[in-house]
Amino acid sequence: MKSLTEFIAQSLVASPDQVQVDQSHQGNRVRLHLSVAKEDMGRVIGKGGRVANAIRVLLRVAAEREGQQVTLDVMEP
Amino acid sequence: MERTNLEVIAPTIEEATARGLEQLGVSSEMVEVEVLDEGTRGFLGMGSRQARIRMTLKSADALAAPASAHPSDAASPTPAAADDDLLNFTAETARELLARMKLTATVTVSYGAADLSGEKNILVDIRGDDLSVLIGRRAETMNALQYILGLIVSKQTEAWVQVTVDVEGYRARREQQLRQLARRMAEQAICTGKRQVLEPMSSAERRIIHLELREVPEVISESVGEDPNRKVTISPKI
Repeated sequence: MKSLTEFIAQSLVASPDQVQVDQSHQGNRVRLHLSVAKEDMGRVIGKGGRVANAIRVLLRVAAEREGQQVTLDVMEP
Repeated sequence: MERTNLEVIAPTIEEATARGLEQLGVSSEMVEVEVLDEGTRGFLGMGSRQARIRMTLKSADALAAPASAHPSDAASPTPAAADDDLLNFTAETARELLARMKLTATVTVSYGAADLSGEKNILVDIRGDDLSVLIGRRAETMNALQYILGLIVSKQTEAWVQVTVDVEGYRARREQQLRQLARRMAEQAICTGKRQVLEPMSSAERRIIHLELREVPEVISESVGEDPNRKVTISPKI
């Protein structure tokens, strides 16, 4: 899940080297924290959160296969 | 059986194959299917062309050998020239995404018919076992993948590129279903004289309904409500 988030974020932003994904577990819940360069925030969130939501949908597929739940937060730099 | 081969034209290769088998009254193991024209769905109903296949009954000895011409093998689009960077990049990105989603699938990319503005349309055909998770409820997952893939490819080319993702022929099947639904509901509107309201659909799906009902002069179709709850209504003309 972390690698999926990293791959998508790095493919979308202007500064791929500033993409960072932190992962934490709480029971069967996986929390992903995505941070990118300030000027790349819009690219990973999208209008009305459309990009972030699409990433969440894809993450859910990966999570379900492992019997887990996943949340994705985009962090302010 | 007097006929040993026939040609079938239908919206999709799968449908053509099914019709051919029905006409010949045989199972898929007993025929060879040759794709004469794989047809194109077009984009949003524009520039679509029907698929054309030739079906030949196998001889008795050919039947003893394992079946080779499986309809779904024939359904994959013609792979474009391997040196096309854009197609390669699209296919590679799709494969990366699927691998990171822990899915095993075959990805085939091709150019679709150009739309009215002449912009490129890339078709990404994904096939594999048990890909229903990749389609998702009301194609939610498939559309999310299409959106992300489209963004990545557009960023790479620095221009907007239309990317259409189809999983296991879902879009073609769904289009058929929607056309049938449109016809059925139109009939109901005419019979009952009452307005019929369909379930919420995406703009692309509503468009299929509207286009189908243009051919039914007795009804008017209209979309009401706001996305994502926008629905098609079908009213009888008074």
